[in-house]
Amino acid sequence: MQWMTIFKKELLGDWRSMKWIWVPLVFILLCIMDPLMTYFMPRILDSVGGMPEGAVIEFPEVPPTEAIMMSLTELSMFGSLLIAAITMSVIAGERKSGVAELILVKPVNYFSYITSKWAAKLFLIFISYSLGMLASWYYVDLLFGGLSAERFFGLFIFYFIWLIFTVTVAIFYNTIFKRPGIVLAASVGTYIALSILAQVFANRSPWFPNNISSHIRSLMASGEVSSDLWIAAGVTVGISIILLIASNFSLRKAELAE
Amino acid sequence: MAVVEVRQLEKSFKGKEAVKGLDFELQRGKVIALLGPNGAGKTTTLRMLSGLLKPTKGTIRFSETNENEDIRNHIGFLPQYPSFHSWMTGKEFLIYVGQLAHLSKDEAQERANELLEKVGIANAANQRIGKYSGGMKQRLGIAQAMIHQPQLLMLDEPVSSLDPIGRREVLQLMEELKEQTTILFSTHILGDAEEICDDLLLMHNGKILESGPIKELQIKHQTSLLEIIIEENPETYIDRLKAFESIEDCKLEKGKLLVAVNDMDKARTQILQAALQEKWPLIKFELRRTTLEEMFMKVVSG
Ligand SMILES: Nc1ncnc2c1ncn2[C@@H]1O[C@H](COP(=O)(O)OP(=O)(O)O)[C@@H](O)[C@H]1O
Ligand SMILES: [Mg+2]
Repeated sequence: MQWMTIFKKELLGDWRSMKWIWVPLVFILLCIMDPLMTYFMPRILDSVGGMPEGAVIEFPEVPPTEAIMMSLTELSMFGSLLIAAITMSVIAGERKSGVAELILVKPVNYFSYITSKWAAKLFLIFISYSLGMLASWYYVDLLFGGLSAERFFGLFIFYFIWLIFTVTVAIFYNTIFKRPGIVLAASVGTYIALSILAQVFANRSPWFPNNISSHIRSLMASGEVSSDLWIAAGVTVGISIILLIASNFSLRKAELAE
Repeated sequence: MAVVEVRQLEKSFKGKEAVKGLDFELQRGKVIALLGPNGAGKTTTLRMLSGLLKPTKGTIRFSETNENEDIRNHIGFLPQYPSFHSWMTGKEFLIYVGQLAHLSKDEAQERANELLEKVGIANAANQRIGKYSGGMKQRLGIAQAMIHQPQLLMLDEPVSSLDPIGRREVLQLMEELKEQTTILFSTHILGDAEEICDDLLLMHNGKILESGPIKELQIKHQTSLLEIIIEENPETYIDRLKAFESIEDCKLEKGKLLVAVNDMDKARTQILQAALQEKWPLIKFELRRTTLEEMFMKVVSG
C-alpha cells in the first residue's frame, strides 16, 4: 500500500520532469547508433567519393550476432552513466532538499521507501532499455541479417540483470551520501573500478558481474547459455539483494536531518 | 497526563554539545512553547523528538504507545524550513503524505480537502507548490503535519519567517488546532510564546533554564518598581523614601529614583501624601512592572 504510493509518486515525478520522454530516446539512440554507423559509414564514404583513385572501400562483414553486441558496448559505457545520473538524487535529493524531513517522520517503512524508489527507476530503465534494444534488433535484422528471437531474448534478459545491478549500486550510495553529485561520482567510480578488476582477474573470476557482457558474447556465438553466465547472473542478483538490504541498514543508521 | 517524558536528553555534533541534558514533560492538551535565542538547541531538540536525529544520550518516552509501536503514527512535525516536492500540487502532496500515514486514498483525499480549507489555501490546492509563497508553504507544512491527526504536533519556528499578518493567521490556526492535539512549538520571540502557550520551556545554550505554566512564570518573574523623577536634588529624597515601611529599597539611577516596594498600594498612597504635604517637585511618578521579558532579555544577553 505504502509501497505503491511511493512507487506511483516516483513514476509521476519522472513523468513531470520529462524523464519518460528523454530517457527512452537516449536509450534508443545509444542502442541503434553503432549498428547504423557501422552499416552506413562505409557506404556513405563510398558514395561521396573523394577517396584516392584505386582505394578500395571494404564493407566489413559483420554478422548480426556481433552487430547487436555493439548496442551493449554503448550501454556499458554511456548507459551506466545515464543510469547513475537519473538515480543519483532519488533519495539523496530528498535528504539534501529537506523533503525527507517531512516524509520520514511519517510512519514510512524504510525498506518500502528504498525498494519502491528502486523499482520505479528500474521500471523506467526497463521500458527505455526494451525500446532501445527492440529498435536495435529491428535495424540489425534489416541491415545485417536475421537474428533469432531466442538469442535476442537471451541477450536482452541477461544484460538487464547487469542493469539491475547498476541501478542498485546507485540506490545504495543514495543511502550513504547526502549529495547527489557524490552519489554519481561514487556510482561511476564503482562501475569503473569493477571493470578494471574484471579485466585484471579476467580468467580467474568468470562469475564477476562485469563479465556478463563477455559471456553474452559467447552466447551470441554459440547459442548456448554457459554455466559461467548463469553463475555470473546469479552472483549479480545476489549482490544486488545484499546491496538493497545494506541500503536499509544504512538509511536506518543515518541522521536524516542536516 | 504527560504525552512525552524526556530524561537526560543530550546531543553532540562531533564533540560539540548542542543539547546538554534536558528533563521535561509535555502535558496532554497543552500548547507548549520552546523559547530560546538562536543556537539554543531548539531545532536539535525537536528533531530528536521527531526521530530525525538520534540522541547521544537520554530517553524520550511517549506514553500511550506500546513498546513496539512506531511513534511516528502519533506525531506531526513541521521543520523550521520545510521543503516539498515543488512539482506536486498542494493537494497531491497532502494526499501523498496522508497515504504514507496509512490513510486510504479516499480518507487522504477527504482529509486533504478539509485541511486545505482549514489552513486557508484551498484556492491554491491545485497549484504547483513551486509557485507557493513562503506563507502558503508554512500553512501547507502545518497541514501535512496534521494529516493523520497526531497526538503531538511539533512546529519548529512556525511564525518566525512570516510577516505580521501571516504570523497572526498562523497563531490563530494554532489556537484552533489546540482543541485537537497537544502542540509543542519553538520560537525565539517571547511575544509569540506569551500570546498562545500554556506552558513554557525556556532554553539557552542547550539547557532548560525555566519551565512551567506561563502564568506562574509571569507572576514569579514580576516584581514591581516605582520610578520617580524629582526636579531638584533627587538624592536627598532617598533616606526619606526608605523610611516608609512599605518600601524595601531605593536607589538613584541616571537621575531616576527606583523604588522597590513590598506593598504597592500602601507605598503609592504614602509617597503621594508625603509629596503633596512636603511639596516635592515631582516630574514623574510611574509604576513599572518587570516581566518575563526582562528575565528573558537577561538570559539572552548573558
Ligand atoms: N548538524 C549539526 N552539526 C553541527 N552543529 C550543529 C548541527 N545542528 C545544530 N548544531 C549546533 O547546535 C546548536 C543548536 O542549534 P539549533 O538546535 O539549530 O538551535 P536553535 O534551533 O535553537 O536555533 C548550535 O550551536 C548549532 O550550531
Ligand atoms: Mg532552529
